[in-house]
Amino acid sequence: MSAQQLKQDSPWRQYICLACGLIYDEELGDPDSGLPPGTRFEDIPDDWQCPLCGVTKVDFELFEKPAILACDKGTVFNRQPGVVIVGAGLAGWSVAEQLRQQDAEIPITLISACNGDIYHKPELSIALSRGFEQSELVRESGVDAAQRLGVRLLPNTLAVGLSPALHQLRTTRGSFHYTKLVLAQGSKPALPAELPAAVCWRVNTLSAWSGLQRALAKGSSRVAVVGAGMVGCELAEDLARAGHQVTLIDRDNTPLSALLPEAAATRLSSGLAKLGVKFLGGQAIRAVEPRADGSRAIVLASGLSIEFDQIVAATGLVTDNRLARQAKLDFNRGVVVDADTLRTSEPAIYALGDCISLDGKPCRFIEPIKHQARAIADAVLELDSEAYAHNAPVIRLKTRSVAIVLHGLPSPDGHWRMVQEDADGLIMEQVSGEQVISRLNLGSPNQSCAA
Amino acid sequence: MKERKAMNRALVSTEVSTKPAPWADDAKVLADVAEISRQQLAPAAYRIDHEGYYPLDIMAKLGQAGAYAAHQDRYGCRYPLALATMTEISRHCGSTGFMSWAHDVCGLYMEQSGNPALLARLDDHVAGITFGGTGLSNPMKALTGIEKMALKAKKVAGGYRVSGTLPWVSHIATGQYCGAIAAVEKGDGSPSHEIMFLLDLDERVTLRACPEFSGMEGTSTWAIPLVDYFVSEDQMIADPAGPFVQRIRGAFVLLQVGIAAGVIQGSIDSIREVEPVLGHVNQYLHDRPDELQAEYDDILARAMTLAETPFDGSKDYLLDVLDLRTQGAELSLKASTSALLHQGARGYLMSSAPQRRIREAQFVAIVTPAIKHLRWEMAKLMNEELPA
Repeated sequence: MSAQQLKQDSPWRQYICLACGLIYDEELGDPDSGLPPGTRFEDIPDDWQCPLCGVTKVDFELFEKPAILACDKGTVFNRQPGVVIVGAGLAGWSVAEQLRQQDAEIPITLISACNGDIYHKPELSIALSRGFEQSELVRESGVDAAQRLGVRLLPNTLAVGLSPALHQLRTTRGSFHYTKLVLAQGSKPALPAELPAAVCWRVNTLSAWSGLQRALAKGSSRVAVVGAGMVGCELAEDLARAGHQVTLIDRDNTPLSALLPEAAATRLSSGLAKLGVKFLGGQAIRAVEPRADGSRAIVLASGLSIEFDQIVAATGLVTDNRLARQAKLDFNRGVVVDADTLRTSEPAIYALGDCISLDGKPCRFIEPIKHQARAIADAVLELDSEAYAHNAPVIRLKTRSVAIVLHGLPSPDGHWRMVQEDADGLIMEQVSGEQVISRLNLGSPNQSCAA
Repeated sequence: MKERKAMNRALVSTEVSTKPAPWADDAKVLADVAEISRQQLAPAAYRIDHEGYYPLDIMAKLGQAGAYAAHQDRYGCRYPLALATMTEISRHCGSTGFMSWAHDVCGLYMEQSGNPALLARLDDHVAGITFGGTGLSNPMKALTGIEKMALKAKKVAGGYRVSGTLPWVSHIATGQYCGAIAAVEKGDGSPSHEIMFLLDLDERVTLRACPEFSGMEGTSTWAIPLVDYFVSEDQMIADPAGPFVQRIRGAFVLLQVGIAAGVIQGSIDSIREVEPVLGHVNQYLHDRPDELQAEYDDILARAMTLAETPFDGSKDYLLDVLDLRTQGAELSLKASTSALLHQGARGYLMSSAPQRRIREAQFVAIVTPAIKHLRWEMAKLMNEELPA
């Protein structure tokens, strides 16, 4: 094949003018300037000028179409305001479900920072050892759910501004008016400065989990889990069961120290140790240093430096206050809501789930969400209903090594009393005055089932 | 067209003899700027928009009144006043509002550079004795990853040599200047960093005419082709440019809100103007003046709060500014369209302000950062960063 033929056979290319963005298409040429269709870029004379802005050939470069990452599936545009929900996690979707169950007509718009796929977040704590992949954790795609519920879903759309006086929510895909607004934004990882986001995983969303899952798919890795709270302990066990070498690091001397008395924490610690989790208690982290080979070293306050392949931060959650601040909503560790109606300090704005605080306390568990969603749907649709009644949910740790079930919310400095203790487990209680405010049951899985 | 450009060049050398007033009194500055805008700029708006008249004479008067001083550190860093004056100017002529913004940010670059050679030129700039714009449209997009840097620089003894073409830069003419950014290449052609400098449009630069725009024709907008243009130490604004741009970005975008505010206010003015005669039919239109006014007030209140801390480097602050700027552009489009509908045929006359403001609002929506760039940037800032 001759060089000429080769030239003819290779696909037409396009070149973009760096100055004005005009695209020169070899196939079309520029007949107005004397370049017939099919003129290859290299054959264009040097004195040819961009027909739009007049720069010459040297200011052009090969144009390759950028991939559009954003989900631009068609959405039905509806000018009726209706209900706008911010957040397509369990809380957001629950409100959409509740509203639609009771009202077939009301327009519902769901603004989601992710693609809106429905998954069960607690599963992320146990999914690695079960060998799941991202798609297996999706229960229903956001698009399917939106269709089923007649919801206008705006995927990959971030809420940036809120003006209650105008009933206006501003997003990265435009402004929306609402009749009622529901904040279901959840919470985000609280990452201390010494744990940079670019090198530390956080398992707070399915896509973040999926990133970690892919990074670990290469085989057994050295993984540090920083923070031995509930999520940290669950992830440490899950990672160990998935075959990784896990080190669990915490500032406090025992795991889950904010919830568990020492006797219980010691049992949890030894249960994790049996799975191979190494617990490093009483350790503050000074810095994380990326290494040239892709690994990361954690430098402890003591000066000790330990190398890991992956670092997972489980250092707690905070509620982003951006919209609340803009809208001047009462905010105290979360959007302050009325305990009966879940209404915020603005009459047309409601909030639920991980982003709220009740009596100054966030409550980031799954169980209350459906009740909250029901209360909001009733209020929005102006239906008679019973007030929302908040109860501290039962906490069940998804650690199979040592089953832990906690009723009530223990006070961090309250006194624990041992009710029963044997080789298999223990039962403890925290009492305030005459009243038992918390009851802890720790033991083998069999025992805990009765709790 | 040629005549017009020649005239513009002649205007550049206009000598302004009076010394600048101290501009300490906010109310007086605003009143003076409003008066010049109303009495001199408003009657010239058609000529500027339609005949491409570059109103340096009026801008000089605005400068003497203190329109270009308020935001400068040396005049008290009064961003609320700077926004208010830009609003007054844009209310009567969006093109001049845009040039006032360009002039303001050029002064911002000069002052924030800390370069004694540029500081020595600042008083003349602020007083409207000399004029300069900003060629940062391409670099602002380049630095956030939207497109490639148009100017390339090579280190040479005593400075840099810069080549490439800036496609359209406004409020410039031979003898004037503008801020510019170039990507520095190492000896092997690989990228090193960026430099920011004051590009003096002297005999070494031949400005090239741009295609005709649908608006903004009086803004003296040209293409700047550079071939081995030498940038001396005296012209340097920042080397490296990255941290400097990060620092001024909030102020740069915030000041643009003044243009939007003026277009919106002007549109509301036009609607109210015809209310006595057309109110009986205009009541059937949407986006009525009170509705627009409510959103405008919301924007203005937020702008004035943000103007108290123009150099707040936090992510939340920048997001607030980008959000405000986006909303300003969206409301400009809505308000200007509504103004034309309210005025009807009289607003559709070529000599009328409403039809001109529609094109001004479109400009506010597409000038860098355009609505799409603002949304791209906000999404980028808000998305969670994860390990690679």
